[in-house]
Amino acid sequence: MEDRVRADQGMLRLGPHEYPPGQPLIMAIVNRTPDSFYRPGITWDRAAAFDRVHEVVAEGADIVDVGGVPAAPGVEVDATEEVGRTAEFIAAVRGAYPEIVISIDTWRHETARAACAAGADLINDSWGGVDPLVPEVAAEFGAALVCAHAGQQRPRTRPHRVAYADVMADVLEQTGRLAERAMKLGVDPERIVIDPAHDFGKNTWHSLEVTRRLGEMTATGWPVLVSLSNKDFVGESLSVPIDSRLPGTLATTAVSAWHGARIFRVHQVAESRQVVDMVATIRGDRPPARAVRALA
Amino acid sequence: MLTAAALCPAPPLLARELTGAADVLPELREACAAAVSALVAAEPDRITVVGAAAASRRWPADGWLDLSAYAPGLGPAPLGLGERLPLPLGLGARLLDEAGYGGSRELFSVADGLAPSMCRAHGARLAGEANRVALLVLADGSARRGLKAPGYLDERSAPFDAAVERAIGSGDLAQLLDIDPGLAAELMAAGRPAWQVLAGAARELRPTSEIRYCDAPFGVAYLVASLAMAA
Repeated sequence: MEDRVRADQGMLRLGPHEYPPGQPLIMAIVNRTPDSFYRPGITWDRAAAFDRVHEVVAEGADIVDVGGVPAAPGVEVDATEEVGRTAEFIAAVRGAYPEIVISIDTWRHETARAACAAGADLINDSWGGVDPLVPEVAAEFGAALVCAHAGQQRPRTRPHRVAYADVMADVLEQTGRLAERAMKLGVDPERIVIDPAHDFGKNTWHSLEVTRRLGEMTATGWPVLVSLSNKDFVGESLSVPIDSRLPGTLATTAVSAWHGARIFRVHQVAESRQVVDMVATIRGDRPPARAVRALA
Repeated sequence: MLTAAALCPAPPLLARELTGAADVLPELREACAAAVSALVAAEPDRITVVGAAAASRRWPADGWLDLSAYAPGLGPAPLGLGERLPLPLGLGARLLDEAGYGGSRELFSVADGLAPSMCRAHGARLAGEANRVALLVLADGSARRGLKAPGYLDERSAPFDAAVERAIGSGDLAQLLDIDPGLAAELMAAGRPAWQVLAGAARELRPTSEIRYCDAPFGVAYLVASLAMAA
């Protein structure tokens, strides 16, 4: 059980909610984009996006992560367009679900500000803090902030021949520095989350390494978010196309959960919920739902 | 002499924390609690807990129930406590604790294979250890009560358990001494020696009884009863 890191993990606060260590959270991806990598455009239509929200809430999602810009390169989406895709939608989700945690997936402080004003509780800055004003928005609104590692990668670019002497050391250094800075800028320390950002500024070997050594991140005490869902490192590991990556995604989810990750950003909510609940049960963080086998 | 007795089964799931989030068989737990409350209310000088285990012996009153053997995930066993008790005695001691009983307490295990006459002798002796002795007997019926039972279905199990229920319910405890140890073992009725200790403790007295629970929801026969000796 040496890998079972729980030491120093504290309370995580998102919106009005408090989450103790050992309670894994599912963050469901809802993209307001026509061109995201997984099932492109499926929630581009507003009604379809709202149906998706209803679906993921019913399947047990704790957090809805709304994004207006795909990670991959492509048609330019400026801040105005990004706000238009996300802020009003977030306000509508907040109106329909007063209790759900809403996250805005953005690297821009303008978008973060509009989203928080519309009711977002969490800024998922998955490009590693390229806009230094984002933490100030989090502090201003009392929002939570994801501090991610993207290496030297700029938003919407692909890694090319990226190399690290020690990728996990780089992840720890960058996410730790971002988290410390956010705290100094007034973000509630219990609302700061770190993310190794699989595939961002990383080749497959790097993503596998940060998965294998994820316990080093959870040992920092910062709550860890992982975003693994259907990504290329899964596809390359198993040589499977994008629509066949669920088993690999869930295996990686299980390993990350065992290492103590607390937030899982996913496309498949129901399956992921079962996996993280199962691992929480194995860890002893959650009791079996009903145990009678051989106990009668 | 014996003034009252309570009969409860001894499945691990009687410990609420072992069934996980779900409260499995709360009615069984409530019946046991009621039977033990009635036992305590009889104001005995001593309550002796009896259950079958590997050997016939006394156990220290500060012995404890090691649930980690059944559910290691519940955490490590506490340090600095006395001896680990056999399951029936540990569950019985816990029932007394939960009933708030702080009086004199004896814990006695009777060997699984012990002959009925020896069980009876143990019972008679235990009943004579104080002026007013109450017995808390932890005993299970057959574990072969259905196709999904721990021991699979044995058609003889239902009539076997029904006979035990009749003996307890009618107060004719002497019938319990007639239970064949070989048949009981085949039917995985682990409570047989403890029933026979109870019969020995009652001697010729015929108690009034109240059956509080009688079912085999997981293929193991559970019987909860309160017995009060006539004055």
